[in-house]
Amino acid sequence: MIGNIMTAEVLTVIHQKPIKTPIIGITGGKGGVGKSTVAINIAESLVQMGHKVSLVDADVDAPDDHILLNMSLQNPMDVTITTPLINDEKCSKCRKCVDVCRMNALFQPRDSVPTLIGECNGCEACILVCPDDAIERGEKAVGKTYMNETENLTLFTGELIPGSEESSFVVNALKARVYNEANDPDIIIIDTSPGTHCNVINALKGSDEAYAVTEPTPLGIHDLDLILKLLKAFQIRSNVILNRSDLPGVKEQMDSVIKEYGTRISAEIPMDDLLLKSYVEGIPVVRMYPESESSKRILRISEEIAGKYIK
Amino acid sequence: MKLCITSTGKDMDSRVDEHFGRASCFMIVDTATMDFEVVSNTAQAAEQGAGISAAQIILDKGAEALLTGIVGPKAFSALRAANVKVYEGASGADSVRGTVEKFNRGEYSEASVPSGGPGRGGRFRGGR
Repeated sequence: MIGNIMTAEVLTVIHQKPIKTPIIGITGGKGGVGKSTVAINIAESLVQMGHKVSLVDADVDAPDDHILLNMSLQNPMDVTITTPLINDEKCSKCRKCVDVCRMNALFQPRDSVPTLIGECNGCEACILVCPDDAIERGEKAVGKTYMNETENLTLFTGELIPGSEESSFVVNALKARVYNEANDPDIIIIDTSPGTHCNVINALKGSDEAYAVTEPTPLGIHDLDLILKLLKAFQIRSNVILNRSDLPGVKEQMDSVIKEYGTRISAEIPMDDLLLKSYVEGIPVVRMYPESESSKRILRISEEIAGKYIK
Repeated sequence: MKLCITSTGKDMDSRVDEHFGRASCFMIVDTATMDFEVVSNTAQAAEQGAGISAAQIILDKGAEALLTGIVGPKAFSALRAANVKVYEGASGADSVRGTVEKFNRGEYSEASVPSGGPGRGGRFRGGR
């Protein structure tokens, strides 16, 4: 269904990006499956292999890659949206702005100028329709982006202000900052939020390939199905990373979902105490316990990515 | 007084709709003569801001007061800005006519603060 809506032209526009650097998405649908753990460890492995990596934490509702990397966020920049400021003197009270607002955020008392009462999403339709040029662009902060630079790893983080609804907007601002400020990395790794909503879609736009991290549980399979459907609709090549692969249970159902989408499991990561220990310490397992089983599996994925995308 | 009552139907015997922004329709009733005008609520299916949009609709129809079950905070702010009085506590078990009669007997008092929840598409229901 979705596949029919998105023609090749639409997909080309959606995936347009201003740089040629390869982009790998780490996603997965379900929350708590280890997306961030996998993302930071792939990034770290690639750095250890001598590559320059930009890691993008696009889980703007709850960014945590910096915690897993034991960094405190640096170089903040505000993300703002437009909020209408109505000039009482210029306003002719025509009410076009009230009528055009799809958020129904504006209200006009009798014989008075409109006033902003509801949630404005910054679309600027009111400014476009105002015949009196009476609406100015005010700014409302909805989030922040950060940049932490180390020698070969740069972490970009997006953070939504709690209570704001513009998570996609923050994701887009974050990616714009990466495109502008990333210092010629060999590869960009984007760690998305859970789910399949707009901010995940925006995070994944322009990805050359995506890895869906999941676990062999009924909910893991259910959400894997959703994210694979999304990746298929956006024609992003998919792979599956099965975390906690030795959990007892529902492997067969998972295999049928994977088969349905014509994808594959590119790695299984077993439950591993050493991974847990590194997690608690805030050091990537591939650095802290390079000989651990989970490190070996992650390294194999990283080598695969490097072989395919880094010259 | 022109009183707006939220209604599930289009005549005076219809049951009251306890919601404001998502009400089926509005009955603008002249409390002295019982003459009324039926106004459909085009904000009912709005994704966002149904309460604010509903406030604009009844204001445009000349309502001087609103009587409904509960009003959310944004609709309340809008109505207050427009000097439309807000009365809450109308019951879905009553007809519009019965509710106007109760109103005329002074059984509802004007609300000074909104009692409804944050008014997100009816996902939250305020306590009564």
